Amino acid sequence: MLLKTNMLILKNISKKLGQFRLTDINLEISEGTYYVLLGRSGSGKTQLLELIAGLNQPDSGELWLDNENITHKKIQQRNIGLVFQDYAIFPNMTVFENIAYSISSGKIDKSIVRERVSKAASEFNISHLLGRDTKHLSGGELQRVALARTLIKSPRLLLLDEPMASIDASLKDDIKRLLRRLNKQGLTIIHVTHDYREAVSLATRVGVIHNGRIIQEGCPDFVFRKPVNKFVARYSGVRNFFRVGFKKENGKWSAISNEKVIFNLSDSTYPEEGLLLLRSDDIKISHEMPSCNAGNCYKGIVKEILPSEYGVEITVDAGETFYVDVSADTFKQQPVIESSEVWISFPEEAGIALQGTN
Amino acid sequence: MNRNGPFNWILLILSSLVLLFLVAPLLGMFLKTGIGEFFETAKDKDVQSSIWLTVWVAFSATLFFAVAAVPFAWLLARKSFPLKSVVQGIIDLPVVLPHTAAGIALLGFISRDGLLGKAANSVGFNLVNNPAGIAIAMAFVSLPFLINSARDGFTTVPERLEKAALNLGAGRSRVFFTISLPLAWRSIITGFVMMFARGMSEFGAVVIIAYHPMIAPVLIYDRFSSFGLKYARPAAVLFIIVALVVFTILRLLSDTGKTVVTKDEYADS
Repeated sequence: MLLKTNMLILKNISKKLGQFRLTDINLEISEGTYYVLLGRSGSGKTQLLELIAGLNQPDSGELWLDNENITHKKIQQRNIGLVFQDYAIFPNMTVFENIAYSISSGKIDKSIVRERVSKAASEFNISHLLGRDTKHLSGGELQRVALARTLIKSPRLLLLDEPMASIDASLKDDIKRLLRRLNKQGLTIIHVTHDYREAVSLATRVGVIHNGRIIQEGCPDFVFRKPVNKFVARYSGVRNFFRVGFKKENGKWSAISNEKVIFNLSDSTYPEEGLLLLRSDDIKISHEMPSCNAGNCYKGIVKEILPSEYGVEITVDAGETFYVDVSADTFKQQPVIESSEVWISFPEEAGIALQGTN
Repeated sequence: MNRNGPFNWILLILSSLVLLFLVAPLLGMFLKTGIGEFFETAKDKDVQSSIWLTVWVAFSATLFFAVAAVPFAWLLARKSFPLKSVVQGIIDLPVVLPHTAAGIALLGFISRDGLLGKAANSVGFNLVNNPAGIAIAMAFVSLPFLINSARDGFTTVPERLEKAALNLGAGRSRVFFTISLPLAWRSIITGFVMMFARGMSEFGAVVIIAYHPMIAPVLIYDRFSSFGLKYARPAAVLFIIVALVVFTILRLLSDTGKTVVTKDEYADS
């Protein structure tokens, strides 16, 4: 019996595409979800979108939309909108003709087509582009045209293939705002990307796909705080990985790395050995020794300072190599220089344990 | 002279020799043809009707076969199927066949005993020594030019544009006519012109199917074999001029057609 709340269900979907294979994909997406599927290029995320849209048929498994089995339903009848990574705007048509494409097959009166195109263009702030050739539009404009063209038919589900990949960084925030607004208006969105920051800022649910399999999914906080393996952890921006042995002494958990650095851990269940993960932004850096009650403090030497999108990334050698993210403001107030001595600290709860080393 | 100098000189000399080889016979023919005999030939009703027959039959053959050849080219560009390379080899076969051999093969097909000839004959139509037979011979030897050029054109159309159109609810035929065909238009026109040109200049296959009515290449050969070089030359010059004018017009028409965006141009945009 299928639950009504799950609008889209993928059951054991498998598909072989040349040497590559999507394997046993299971997904349940409820109405109004903003689902971000994270994966490297070649991980199978675009192929999965094309299967959902109906551009390809799965070798096995079932696809359900609104309690209807659409596995073998024609692409034209699925009512699922897909925006391609490079937008696939028809270069032989004007912006107007592109947006009107899905409703101008002759069955709808021309004045109604004009009215609907005009409304869609106004919603996406592209009314001034309607008469234009599409060859000289910017990435942001092309994306708005592609969204207007797809959404003019009011699809049940919107699929976005790497929507931020081909636009300038300055326009990304605009597009994120636009996508958030569409989602808030009730549109269910599946967005595939290789950039976990897009998931952090947009997703209500996240899945991580690797080698054609979804290896973890859940709410973003859970996936990013409790990655199931090193791949997911790396994907969610973790840069500090330590091979450790875990032990409990006097009721307190700790971990000892290969380089004999001891980490104090919060009370939980740990394997005998594995990986300890630390997010770069959970580590604080200071010139003075911080208060180390119920935490971890280490003295180290600054090895490298590199600019990053948050501010700077500081590499500190404190027995193990730690990568620390510091905001531009904090770095300005408390600058450090290479080869100087610093203290790094992080709370017990910051450590994430993983069984195994992969 | 820079250090590539000798190489550049060799290139220049070799290229000039190739060009001279192509131009010299034609130029010689034009120079040896007197103005008087040229205009006299141009007024000759037999010459006029043979050139007209050549142009319209070649054009009709190209147009008629394009209706099937262009969708076939799309199929070759987009789909994988068993023995596709064999099919591709069959398409190229007329290019490597001696054209007289092609004519003999076709004659067996369209003569009264042949499959197509028998069918045509049953409705009182004889394909041998008939413009329809000539069109078949022209199309047989020239179809690869259209199919290959159109296939290359369809290959340059990004497949995701067709997928996007399908996702927007368009049927396969609408996608073909609104996306694939307009975007591959230039290559299709190039193939069309090439097929038309090849059809017009065909002699070997046509002469076996139909000596009469005479197309221009057969008429030139007939005059050469019956009366000699001097008598055949003005007809050849006239036919070349007509062919050049027709192709120039077709080129101009295709260039003023819809702007076609290739995959690379699209990616740049």
